[in-house]
Amino acid sequence: MGNIWEITRQTVREAFARKIFIMFASISTLILLLFIVAFISVGAENFGGSIHFESRGMNGTSMVDGIVDGLKIFIVAPLFGLGLFLSIFSVSSFIPAMLEKGNIDVLLSKPIARYQIIFGKFFGGTAVVFVNILYLIGGIWLLLGIKFDVWDPSFLLSTLTITFAFAVLYALIILVGILSQSSILAMMLSYIIFIVLSPILNARDKIMMLSDSKILENILDALYYIIPKTSELGSMTTDIAVGGHIYDYQPIFTSAIFLILSLALSIIIFSKKDY
Amino acid sequence: MNTVEVYNLTKVYESAYKKSRVTALRDFNLQVAEGTVFGLLGPNGAGKTTLIKVLLGIVFPTLGKAKMLGQDIGNYEIKKHIGYLPENHKFPPYMTGEDVLKYIAKLTGTPTEGLDQKIEQLLHLVKMNKWRKTKVKKYSKGMMQRLGLAQALINDPKLIFLDEPTDGVDPIGRKEIRDILQVLKNEGRTIFINSHLLSEVELVSDRVAILNKGMLVREGTVEELTTKKQIYSISIAEEKEEEWLKRALAGFAFGSFKLNNFEARLENDAELNRLIDELRRNELTIKAVVPVKTTLEDMFISLINESDKKESNG
Repeated sequence: MGNIWEITRQTVREAFARKIFIMFASISTLILLLFIVAFISVGAENFGGSIHFESRGMNGTSMVDGIVDGLKIFIVAPLFGLGLFLSIFSVSSFIPAMLEKGNIDVLLSKPIARYQIIFGKFFGGTAVVFVNILYLIGGIWLLLGIKFDVWDPSFLLSTLTITFAFAVLYALIILVGILSQSSILAMMLSYIIFIVLSPILNARDKIMMLSDSKILENILDALYYIIPKTSELGSMTTDIAVGGHIYDYQPIFTSAIFLILSLALSIIIFSKKDY
Repeated sequence: MNTVEVYNLTKVYESAYKKSRVTALRDFNLQVAEGTVFGLLGPNGAGKTTLIKVLLGIVFPTLGKAKMLGQDIGNYEIKKHIGYLPENHKFPPYMTGEDVLKYIAKLTGTPTEGLDQKIEQLLHLVKMNKWRKTKVKKYSKGMMQRLGLAQALINDPKLIFLDEPTDGVDPIGRKEIRDILQVLKNEGRTIFINSHLLSEVELVSDRVAILNKGMLVREGTVEELTTKKQIYSISIAEEKEEEWLKRALAGFAFGSFKLNNFEARLENDAELNRLIDELRRNELTIKAVVPVKTTLEDMFISLINESDKKESNG
């Protein structure tokens, strides 16, 4: 455990050194500042148009909740997309940099098992993203609470779903990084899954309306279950943010399997490779 | 006791889809005794670095087995007692020299108690105290080499592998590194040096092995390797012509002749004694009989050429 912890610590440090942490924190701080300015300059009643907060009845409360939910979706939906986009970009070089000649020799000559290095890198990268997302989501939750007196903790849970979606893609980045030692390839594949494949496969029922091909249907179904479901995880994040429930755990379950398999494969390949 | 034991080690690098194969080590055997400074010599691509990498688990052997400190190399825990200075090593550029040592100490499981003093001592030993708070990215090649040596020693290793330790270091720095190696040797540590700088190896090594195309060509002490077998330089008091000497000492094979000095190539010690008897019988005064030595460099070149010839002849 000590070795995993040390590699995790160094990965977080590397993120600091590469200004990844600072970049994330700066963007998050900027968003929080914009919200503070907006909340100070605009009265709570103006968010809801004609609602009179002094006499908040049942309807008034619902309206406030509606406004707050709107604001949460306004934050969480782009955060899921932009946050994942930036996160993938930020961590894609972790593995290729570690595998550079000279770096890897030093690391592998130490009494540390190769699986510990992979776990350390995985936890380190995930921790960086988790802390940054928690900072932004937590900050927004606090501001919304102060402004509207709505303290629904379910909004905070979206931190977990965003981090989970990132972790799934990061496992793929690690695998591709080990196979190819190319950060660009790892990044490209993750973007293709996140931006192209997952949304297309999520809409496979609509696609199948245009075709009668059983083969295409089977291929799309197979790909759907294999490839991480970032699109569904995005929808889930938005639902959770506004206090909704998860009705279908299949996207989480299959994405988790993808994560585990990617990490396992990374460990197997890394453990057998010469450097 | 042997600190390093290598048995029939073969390493073949295969490219993707097995399009090309390079045999880096062929049926290689080696033993390194505890407390010695062992120098591994060889031309570029001889397999020197591959051997170290196999021992340290950075690359995996194709065939054969090896042990370090009495344990199989597959047990990564033995690396707690091993130090390694890789060739062209890199450290995270955002770390300072001191950070690197702390980081490596943690990875090697070095106790935190007394670590600060140990870092202080090591930085002092490699003369990097002044640069301890400077980020590694600002270090010169020589400074990186010194820091590399310090990190290889942070865990008090029993066995130290140094791959081109004086690479990029100025002559004064090289002398300092040699002095450090002497101190380490006196402490009873085993040091394994890979180098193409023959003079460096000659100065510090107890034993030397020569590797060419993955095969062990010769192994022995520097003394053994640099002594030309059965070639003696013989000095006599009298100044004699070459023809006279050849007649008087008929039946012996000779090398170069000078007035009162000549070289004799002898089969064995008995033949040396017969030559001495013959010199005395001819009433020549023997002033010196000295085995002819060569430099490690000459010997190295001759062995490599010989090995290449053998291989090309089949």
